[in-house]
Amino acid sequence: MTKGLKLTDILVTIVIAIAFGIVYILWGSVYYALKPIGLHADQFMYGMWFIAANVAFFIIRKPGVALLAEIAAASGEFLLGSPWGLTVLLYGVVQGLFAELVFMAFKYKRFHISVAILSAIAACLGSVLMDFAYGEIGDLVAWNLTLFMIARFLGSILFAGVCAYYLVKVLEATGVTNLVRPASSKDYAELDQK
Amino acid sequence: MQLDFSSKETWLHRINPSLKLFVLIMLCIIVLLVHNLLFMMNFTVIVLILFLCFTGQPTKRILLLFIPFFVVFLSTSSSLIFFGQGNTTWFKWGLIHITEESFFRGLLVGFRALLFAILGLTFALTTRPVYLFYSLMQQVKLNPKYAYSFMAALRLIPIMLEEFQTIQNAMRVRGVVRQTGIRSVFLKMKAYSIPMLSGSIRRAHRIAVAMEAKRFSDTRNRTYYYEIGFSKYDIVFILYFVTLLLAGYYGAIKGV
Amino acid sequence: MERIAHVEKLRLKFPGDTSLLFKDLSSTFYKGEKVLLLGPSGCGKSTLLQVLSGLIPHSIEVPMKAEELVSPTSWGYVFQDPDSQFCMPFVDEEIAFVLENINVPKQQMIDRIHHHLQQVGLHLPDIHTSIQTLSGGMKQRLAIASILALKPDVLFLDEPTAMLDPKGTKEIWNVLKEVGQEKTVIIVEHKIDHVLEFIERIILFNEAGQIIADGPKEKILSTYKNEMREQGIWFPGVWEEYLDTTPLLRSRKPFEKKEKVLEVQNFKGFRQKEEKILVDDLQAYSGEWIVIKGENGAGKSTLLHAFMQFIKTTGHCELVGIAIKKVKKQTDFMTFVFQNPEFQFVANSVYEEIAYSLKVDKVDSREIEIKVEELLEWFQLVDHWDKHPYQLSMGQKRRLSVAASIVKEQKLILLDEPTFGQDSKNTFALLEWIEELRLKGTTIIMITHDEQIINNFATRIWTIEAGKVISDEIQSMNMKTELVSV
Ligand SMILES: Nc1ncnc2c1ncn2[C@@H]1O[C@H](COP(=O)(O)OP(=O)(O)OP(=O)(O)O)[C@@H](O)[C@H]1O
Ligand SMILES: Nc1ncnc2c1ncn2[C@@H]1O[C@H](COP(=O)(O)OP(=O)(O)OP(=O)(O)O)[C@@H](O)[C@H]1O
Ligand SMILES: [Mg+2]
Ligand SMILES: [Mg+2]
Repeated sequence: MTKGLKLTDILVTIVIAIAFGIVYILWGSVYYALKPIGLHADQFMYGMWFIAANVAFFIIRKPGVALLAEIAAASGEFLLGSPWGLTVLLYGVVQGLFAELVFMAFKYKRFHISVAILSAIAACLGSVLMDFAYGEIGDLVAWNLTLFMIARFLGSILFAGVCAYYLVKVLEATGVTNLVRPASSKDYAELDQK
Repeated sequence: MQLDFSSKETWLHRINPSLKLFVLIMLCIIVLLVHNLLFMMNFTVIVLILFLCFTGQPTKRILLLFIPFFVVFLSTSSSLIFFGQGNTTWFKWGLIHITEESFFRGLLVGFRALLFAILGLTFALTTRPVYLFYSLMQQVKLNPKYAYSFMAALRLIPIMLEEFQTIQNAMRVRGVVRQTGIRSVFLKMKAYSIPMLSGSIRRAHRIAVAMEAKRFSDTRNRTYYYEIGFSKYDIVFILYFVTLLLAGYYGAIKGV
Repeated sequence: MERIAHVEKLRLKFPGDTSLLFKDLSSTFYKGEKVLLLGPSGCGKSTLLQVLSGLIPHSIEVPMKAEELVSPTSWGYVFQDPDSQFCMPFVDEEIAFVLENINVPKQQMIDRIHHHLQQVGLHLPDIHTSIQTLSGGMKQRLAIASILALKPDVLFLDEPTAMLDPKGTKEIWNVLKEVGQEKTVIIVEHKIDHVLEFIERIILFNEAGQIIADGPKEKILSTYKNEMREQGIWFPGVWEEYLDTTPLLRSRKPFEKKEKVLEVQNFKGFRQKEEKILVDDLQAYSGEWIVIKGENGAGKSTLLHAFMQFIKTTGHCELVGIAIKKVKKQTDFMTFVFQNPEFQFVANSVYEEIAYSLKVDKVDSREIEIKVEELLEWFQLVDHWDKHPYQLSMGQKRRLSVAASIVKEQKLILLDEPTFGQDSKNTFALLEWIEELRLKGTTIIMITHDEQIINNFATRIWTIEAGKVISDEIQSMNMKTELVSV
């Protein structure tokens, strides 16, 4: 699937991802700062950890980018010595895969905000599945678990969906996205002027 | 990653990075399967010894690095301890309901997270990323396209951090007054994140072009500046875990 | 003769531009030729070099088409910007990366690395040095070393010495001449003194990206003098002509000490806790044009960074009579042009970039417009006003960075090599603008390697060697007599 990625695409994706990897580590402290509030207020912040996949995909718009981005961000976090250590690596793969599946479902041709939100939800779903396997959140009592889910999904939609989408919009204004996206056929047509 | 964490070299540094990574991932899978609290604690001690004695870091830094471990431990275990299901009630106050089952569950999960954290950090502290990716190319046949992209990206991290300084300088030259306080942190984040991100993308693009100009292609049969093989330390590393984990498991069953 | 690179009816246009950069451009390069591409800044020389090497369109997508396009198979490319051509963190690893790409056995690598570093005169105590800590000039040498490691048949050189000191420039060209003997070499360079004896053929471009002349160098240099003057090319003797015809210089008043603008004593600048620059005692007065010179890596940029307080400093430093750390808004008094122009871009378009400082100061919008347009005109950026700063050619970026920094006309202007990579027309325009400011009383502190600028514009010279300011001399004013004899 990633056969089609050129060196430029890969390098740009990984650089974006590692930049977010740094953000992820810093985000960890925000997350823990909210932990003592209890009642899963921290879960609302969780969505930030899915943002790399969406940002990278919406910039480069190619198959495989979302998965690669989430793995790279996690590896970056891992290599920089995040206290979550190897956990993030495992989570990264699953979250990236889930986000990727959404883009694939749209044949990598839709770049609407709704797609961003859907993929954020998918990545969140991936993380919840991992939590069941690893953190045994299934043992939480029902009302607590519900609260947990609502907080996490809402946060994902906000951070990984909406924020990522608008971040890319702002980046487009700086013209940087033209570097990695193919030139339009209009530009090619204009070569034949006069 | 050893950006500025200079340290002494220990035998952990000399282990083949791919092997080290593989062993750590195996250990993680084992950790996921463990449900015996005693064994989990023995396991933690075994890994902790490596971290404390053989990462080659000064004691002060080790202690400093220890703080997040506690946070990880407490934060992971607490919600299960306080809100988990269970029958044998120990304590009840409002929404908080601690039961015997939830307490042990919580501890187990807490130790699990702690183990992951120590394993990860031990790896990060004793492995130079460049060696890891060279090793991954040689032992795991990772496509050089990905390996070198990772290495180039990691090289960019200090540059990105410097870029923060650069943007700040640029803004100062243009007369943007430096502010202090919480509000300014937020403003800064807004003002800096976009130029930093777009700058990184441009730089990444240019480096990719420069790499191709230097005749980089993704053929897998290339020569390597760092030829990374195996050594006796690898055997020591594996034996360390095999023997001690067996001993730990035996001990746990016997109730030590 | 064997054709080594060839374009036939090349058309190329950057996305979003309205006009073509190249329209039906054709040219052929033969094996073993040494060719120089000459043309004004922004005419498309770098772009053409990238097309010839195949980087466009293989690695960089730019809308283009050609009836025929032949690229060489074994080539090396030295980029204009030394900062972003490395992909590994350390010097040895960077060259090793190239050696790996061409399958050099590991046993030979260390020797080859030493050899290539030796070739370009990059003497490091340890080859495992972080690239991050090299000065601009040292990075450029490393870039050349890693290209030499490719042992290419064809060399594409895009101003490889723009950032180097005179000694380094000479050395690098000697190296390139030696290794290029048997190779095909295609060079883009504004300053042609060192290249001239090496090359055989010159291709002359005009502003519109058309070839106006192509032939043996003797013929071009003798018959196309007028065209070259018009296009602002550094043909031999251009300085003499300029000095003869420009009244500004002749009317220079002798410099008199007036207001003290900057004073430092026992002043030190630190990078990563290491002392990198030391000044015993220096003053700068209003109306002075101080030039800082010194070898690559001597610490020139570091000194300016220390003045700007970008790095940690100790000692006494006074700006307009106030301790600099107490000055509330330094930028009301001083401004700075970075060595790497990209380091100072903060806006999304050329126009906004120049207007930025004025907007921060809430200057009246009509006034901003007038000022910005004047600068755009003077620095030949009018046609590009809505581009993103990063999309400009190297020379254009350089001019933009100068224009954007000096727009507020502070009392003290620090410039880090503001004329590198510039054609003669733009260089003179820039120098005249600065001279204009100086006559109004501004203090100029400028790093440059250009002897002509030092001789003809500086009123005072500071020399830096190995992290220390070792001399401070006042330049004699009656250079006119000297010049006649040049
Ligand atoms: N990515 C880009 N997008 C849009 N325009 C560009 C881009 N790159 C270059 N240009 C424009 O194309 C023209 C030619 O640029 P090029 O870099 O080839 O000039 P040059 O002849 O090498 O100039 P210099 O001597 O200043 O380096 C310039 O006017 C520049 O503004
Ligand atoms: N960011 C940095 N971190 C650490 N050391 C640095 C850094 N930048 C420069 N140096 C070191 O400081 C010294 C002075 O560098 P500086 O850039 O001031 O030289 P320069 O005189 O401006 O050279 P050039 O003519 O090449 O621009 C050099 O030895 C260089 O290796
Ligand atoms: Mg150029
Ligand atoms: Mg410098």
